[in-house]
Amino acid sequence: MSDQFLGDQMLDMFIFETAQLLEQLEACILDAEKDGAYSRDAINEIFRIMHTLKGSSAMMRYDDISSLAHSIEDLFYFLREENPGIIEYSELTDLVLAGVDFVKSQIGKIKSGSAAEGDASKLIADNREFLAKLKGSNPAKQGADTEKKGPDPGEQEPDTEKQNGTSDRKYANTFRAVIRFQEGCEMENIRAFGVIHNLEDVAGEIRHVPEDIMAPEAAEIIKRDGFTIRFRTDCSYVDIHQLLMQTIFLKELELEQVNEADAVQAVNEDRPADYRPSDHRADRTDEHNAQNVSRDHTSHQNIISVPVARLDKLMDLMGEFVIAEAMVIQNPDLDGMELSNFQKAAQRLDKITKEIQDMVMSIRMVPLAATFQKMKRIVRDMCRKLHKEANLVIVGEETEVDKNIIEHISDPLVHLVRNALDHGIESAQERLAAGKDKCGTITLEAKSAGSDVLIIVRDDGRGLDREKILKKAKEKGMLYKPESEMTDKEIFNLVLLPSFSTKDDVTEFSGRGVGMDVVVKNIEAIGGSVLIDSKPNEGTSITMKIPLTLAIIDGMNIKVGKAIFTLPTISIMESFRPKAGDAFTDPEGNEMIMVRGKCYPVLRLNRYYSIPAGITEFTEGIMIMVEHDERTLCIFADELLGQQQIVVKSLPEYIRRFGKVKGLAGCTLLGDGNISLILDIGGLIYGREA
Amino acid sequence: MKKVLIVDDAAFMRAAIKTILERNGFEVVGEAENGAIGVRKYQELRPDIVTMDITMPEMTGLEALKHIRSFDPDAKVIMITAMGQEHLVKEAILSGAKSFIVKPFKEEHVVQTLKKL
Repeated sequence: MSDQFLGDQMLDMFIFETAQLLEQLEACILDAEKDGAYSRDAINEIFRIMHTLKGSSAMMRYDDISSLAHSIEDLFYFLREENPGIIEYSELTDLVLAGVDFVKSQIGKIKSGSAAEGDASKLIADNREFLAKLKGSNPAKQGADTEKKGPDPGEQEPDTEKQNGTSDRKYANTFRAVIRFQEGCEMENIRAFGVIHNLEDVAGEIRHVPEDIMAPEAAEIIKRDGFTIRFRTDCSYVDIHQLLMQTIFLKELELEQVNEADAVQAVNEDRPADYRPSDHRADRTDEHNAQNVSRDHTSHQNIISVPVARLDKLMDLMGEFVIAEAMVIQNPDLDGMELSNFQKAAQRLDKITKEIQDMVMSIRMVPLAATFQKMKRIVRDMCRKLHKEANLVIVGEETEVDKNIIEHISDPLVHLVRNALDHGIESAQERLAAGKDKCGTITLEAKSAGSDVLIIVRDDGRGLDREKILKKAKEKGMLYKPESEMTDKEIFNLVLLPSFSTKDDVTEFSGRGVGMDVVVKNIEAIGGSVLIDSKPNEGTSITMKIPLTLAIIDGMNIKVGKAIFTLPTISIMESFRPKAGDAFTDPEGNEMIMVRGKCYPVLRLNRYYSIPAGITEFTEGIMIMVEHDERTLCIFADELLGQQQIVVKSLPEYIRRFGKVKGLAGCTLLGDGNISLILDIGGLIYGREA
Repeated sequence: MKKVLIVDDAAFMRAAIKTILERNGFEVVGEAENGAIGVRKYQELRPDIVTMDITMPEMTGLEALKHIRSFDPDAKVIMITAMGQEHLVKEAILSGAKSFIVKPFKEEHVVQTLKKL
């Protein structure tokens, strides 16, 4: 693309607009398919989109995209003009969607800077074949074909009419002219038509070669042999010469005044011996302008696009800023000093810091709509392939999440939707037999819950088979506690463990049991978790709980011996000082504590992490009740230090390499320069159970 | 400096034409994304030249051309077209379009066509 006279800026615009068009197109097609027919408006819109795409991509010299768009445009042109009635809509939809996919992948390649080499010829051939079939099944209307395949029957060339109408008038002079157009100006026949149109004001008895200007091969003949006209007029040679010289893209003009008697013969001689048209585009010259782009193009937009890398950098700096702020405000040098003015200034700084931080976060927020809309297509494709019927209902697509998160949930979401259709939704017969609507429903829901976003994929299918899962888990030795003690939820969540698949036959869509644990890994990578719930014959819902923001959280610092830990404030239910009689041990020796008549397991951080010092008497320390995924744990520590915003840093690689660090989500730098370890509540709870 | 109004539904095309015209001594006084807006802007801006895409939503370039010519018979309208639209271009010429440019166009084609008006 380096030789393109339209620069990078235009390329960006092309990519942007094309992506928009494709989205519009996809939505349009899917709507049309849902309605079971393509409305007039839909056909027009698709035609226009394809037409625009054809033009833009040809300008950027992506010929594959352009010809593909052209072939689809032809299809819809036919539909628009001929209104052929009953056609195979699903086949049409498949063709268009295949085209959309091709263009998407090409755009993807262009975006990533690699050569957009893809072969659209198969798709184009398919489109042509389908068009031929349409025409074949509507023979009555075949006459008028597409606009370039010849004139409408009965249409008279206007010049012939004129000629007939004015034949009785006598003109003084007869001229013969041969006009050649510049190479690459295209549509030479129409340019010739323009010449005749201009001549008609002053001349009559116009005859020309080629005779039928609108014939498909006319442009080729004019390109090769020039356009020959013979006409009679009262104007002088000079006048006519001047008139014809005004022709745009004129390369050569031969003009001669002829003897009346020779005239007709002359035109006949001019007729070329063979009319064989050659390929229209074959000899199109490929020279083009390699001028540099002047960057004077001013745009009047209120929206600017910024590279994500810069936002990431901004986010990192924001993190450093929060730490630096804490270092100033909580500086140990200030201990014990009465500084009322400093405190005021510090408060103000703190307030502004929070505002900036909110703003930085909000810049990165993107609505889930686009991600959700993509699922429509997946549901459609799968329904067709699996011969099932299902609707996709989308709720809360306006919910915003961090851009990073969008990237991480796309794949899991696709997987879950596929699973729901493949394993969850039954075939129409099965559904009817079970007394359900034969068309299944998959609901995609997003909602905020505190500092988390919940993304729920729900189906109204057959639900998970508890016994089957148990059996499989037993076979694979995956049960972590006695069968009788497991709740339904616990059993269902076994499915999330690596290498678990109950589907006996493997389909194209839901893989070979590598699925769910990949979903879990993806979600855990962004600090989220996955929960499954299911009821037999009513359906399954899978909830992904994802933290809204990743890098900066509210934390509670606690102290154990000399070590400092930080708990995410959001997971703290309450903290309390236990009374002597509340603690006891269960028969297996696990410490438990009774709070308001309920028992909770206790985790002593000093024992868990083998910290030598620290309080061991319950009554002298503090108990912090935390919750994760509806499980509760009481953490025992020495004392609470206070709450502050913390920047989550991942643990250094050399520590992670030990692989033995349990229950830590990362670390953070405190205001006084100390390092605090951030506890991973989920890890602590599950770590105990496993 | 000749004043030009660009009518095209594709932002990409408008930007391409604008880039070309502005570095060749034309002043782009307005852009419109469909025929109806194009007609309105023509009345408002009275440009010397209009580049008019044919296929557009709301009102096609052909209709817009006819509208413009109906209240300004001297209007200089150049059609922007694509291969396969020969019949529409022919109709446009019959309706008073001065010339036409075929997509994908080259810079020199655009400049030549507009300069020759």
